[in-house]
Formats: sequence, structure tokens, C-alpha cells
Amino acid sequence: MARITVGIGTSHVPAIGAAIDLGKTKDPYWKPVFDGYEWTKTWIENEKPDVIVLVYNDHATAFDMDIIPTFAIACSDSFKPADEGWGPRKVPDIHNHADLAWHIAQSCILDEFDMTIVNNIDLDHGLTVPLSLMFGQPEEWPCKVIPIAVNVVTYPPPSGNRCYGLGEAIARAVESFDEDLNVQIWGTGGMSHQLQGPRAGLINPEWDQKFLDNMTANPALLRAIPHIEYLRETGSEGIEMVMWLIMRGALGDNIKELHRHYHVPASNTAVGHIVLEKTS
Amino acid sequence: MSELARTNIHEYLAELEDIPGTRVYTTKRARQGYWLNQFAMSLMKAKNREAWKADEAAYLADWPMTQDQRDAVLARDYNLLLDLGGNIYYLAKVFSTDGLSFLQAVSTMTGMSTEDYQDMMINGGRSPKGLRSIKEGT
Repeated sequence: MARITVGIGTSHVPAIGAAIDLGKTKDPYWKPVFDGYEWTKTWIENEKPDVIVLVYNDHATAFDMDIIPTFAIACSDSFKPADEGWGPRKVPDIHNHADLAWHIAQSCILDEFDMTIVNNIDLDHGLTVPLSLMFGQPEEWPCKVIPIAVNVVTYPPPSGNRCYGLGEAIARAVESFDEDLNVQIWGTGGMSHQLQGPRAGLINPEWDQKFLDNMTANPALLRAIPHIEYLRETGSEGIEMVMWLIMRGALGDNIKELHRHYHVPASNTAVGHIVLEKTS
Repeated sequence: MSELARTNIHEYLAELEDIPGTRVYTTKRARQGYWLNQFAMSLMKAKNREAWKADEAAYLADWPMTQDQRDAVLARDYNLLLDLGGNIYYLAKVFSTDGLSFLQAVSTMTGMSTEDYQDMMINGGRSPKGLRSIKEGT
């Protein structure tokens, strides 16, 4: 049986991808960002996940104003890194576990989470930067990746509660897949940041750390956070953190925090990272 | 825990307008900015970027945008573009074509120099204190 073993949360700032691609990870500005991922890079080599369900958002790359799916699951066999206007990142193609992806799609729909099924899309920094952070610069990614794209650009995005419930539905779907697979789920984006208007540059470390604390201490509080609180406390783009709740929802009640990292800034953004292990 | 209080859409939308210095990309703005954002999206293609760089005004004339939107694009007035229905991830195609990073472009909306803005970020960013609510002044 397939099983979810681990949840990972991480920011997916595009400038982090550029710093990796341009060999700047040891620069004084970037070193503290990347140092916090060293533990995870070593640890994940031993974990050897077979599949990652990677929850991210598309930033006007594969989806424009013509199609705005709230929850989309990408089901084709493989994907290219997107050209976001300055050429695609030089990272490997992303290979799907398409059978499991289609299985999650059908299971979630029967579970009343009406996923949009997409196939041929290019994947932007929201998905590729987390892979680079955990796996460095390999010739091929060491596992399969199932992309789940969430609309957090056009309001309203899904509620945190709905995201959490989708995570629970994904866990049920994975557990009913009849192949022995070690599956991780990653929630990406955040933490506090605002990329627009005179209030741009907003950062709220106290709120962010409380959010990380409550991943283990009180996830019920997290799922009840309304959109307006993300906006007021964490900036207009902090809303991306609802995607971490899909990850958290998929882990169930019993989890342990293995690792945490928090640093300000990467470009305009507070970088947060957490590794959560399912204990039963 | 799956049952939360039902959201009142009017209260929800009113709250989104109560945040200082922020334009939440609501459905109303999405409708207003549809062509502005789709124009920006067109710059994802190298061929279109060439045509745009060769003659910006002529390129814009082909898009059914308002004249205000065209003028604001030519002026790279990003705060005004937000007011006219632009979304930052779409507008990013314009400033990326100009060779600006997110940090550089975002700083132009704050009334700060890019250097001062970057220093603010390195020193921990902008505090939410006093910037949470227009009405409450918190």
C-alpha cells in the first residue's frame, strides 16, 4: 500500500532558484537561507521518497486569466520547467507517477473535492525551487512528483479549512492505492511577504513562527484562520500559506517536528521551512 | 471541525478594501484588468517581447485596453496599474522584460529608493504595526 510518511513546508521564492542556478548560495546574502536546508538535504537522501505530492501555485505561467482552477492536479507523464520570461531554469524535467496522480484525482472527486484535471503544463518556480532546495542540482530528480496547483492569485482562494480537508482527502486517496510507495507531501509558498503597493515588504516573524508552532501544537487553529488575517498579518502574498495546510491535513493527528528553519529576507520574502514526520 | 461559519460575501469584500497600501486582486479587479493582464502575459513569448521593445505604444494599440491602462503601462506606474486591475504576477512580465527583479520593481511602489527598500528588507522588513487596518488604525 502507498503511504504518506512525511510533510515538508517551504517557501518557493524565485530569487532562491536564481541564486542556486547562478552559483550564489555561498554569498553572504544567501548563505543563511541555504544553511537551513542542509539538514533536510542530508536527511532526505536516506528517506528516499518514491513520490512527492507537491502543492504549489502557478504564478501566471501555465494558467493565465482564461483558466483559473481552484485546485488542479497534473496527470501527464512528465513536465518541463517553464520559461517564465527569461528562459527555463536549467533543471531536469519533472516525471510524474501518473497512475497515482489519476488515482488521487478520481478518489478526491468521489470524496467531493472536485479537482480540475490538467495534463500538458509547464511548471514554474513554485514547483521547481522546492525541488532544488531539497535535492540540490542532480542530473535527474530522484523521485516522481505529482503537481497540485492551487489558485492563490485571484480572490477568493480556497479557505484554509478547505485546503486542510483536501489534504485529508489526498491522504485517503494515497492509502487506497495498491502499490508499495513511500509518499511525501510538500506544501510550498509563504511565509509573510507582500509584493505590491506602498505596504510592500511587510514581514511578520512572530506570526510566521506561531504558524510553524501550531503545525504540531494546534492545527485546528490553523485551519480556521480567515483570509483577512493572512492579508493583515502576513502581507498580500502570505496567503500562499493555505497551501501548507493541504500538506498538514494529509498527515493526520500524530506528527513530530524534525526540523525548522526561518530567515528574513530572500528578496521580498520571509523564508520558512519545516519537516514533519507522521508518527502513526 | 469541517463546519465553519458561513462567510458573508459583502463583509468579506469590505474587509479586503480595509488594508492600507494594498490592492487585493478581487474578481472585480480581475474583470477590470482582464486585457491589461493578458497583454502582460503575451510578453512570455520572445517574439512578442521583440515587437513590444521595438514599439511599445503600437504593441499596446493592438490590445483592447483602456487608454488609462495603456498610459500607466508606458509610465511603468505600478501602483496605478494595480488600481486599474493589474495583478503583480502578470505585471511581472512587463518589469522582467525591462530587466528588473521583483525587488527592484516592487520597491518602485513604496516611495523608497531600491537601496533603501533592500536595506529595510535586510533589517527585517516592514512591520505590520499600524498597517493592518485603515478603519482601526492598527
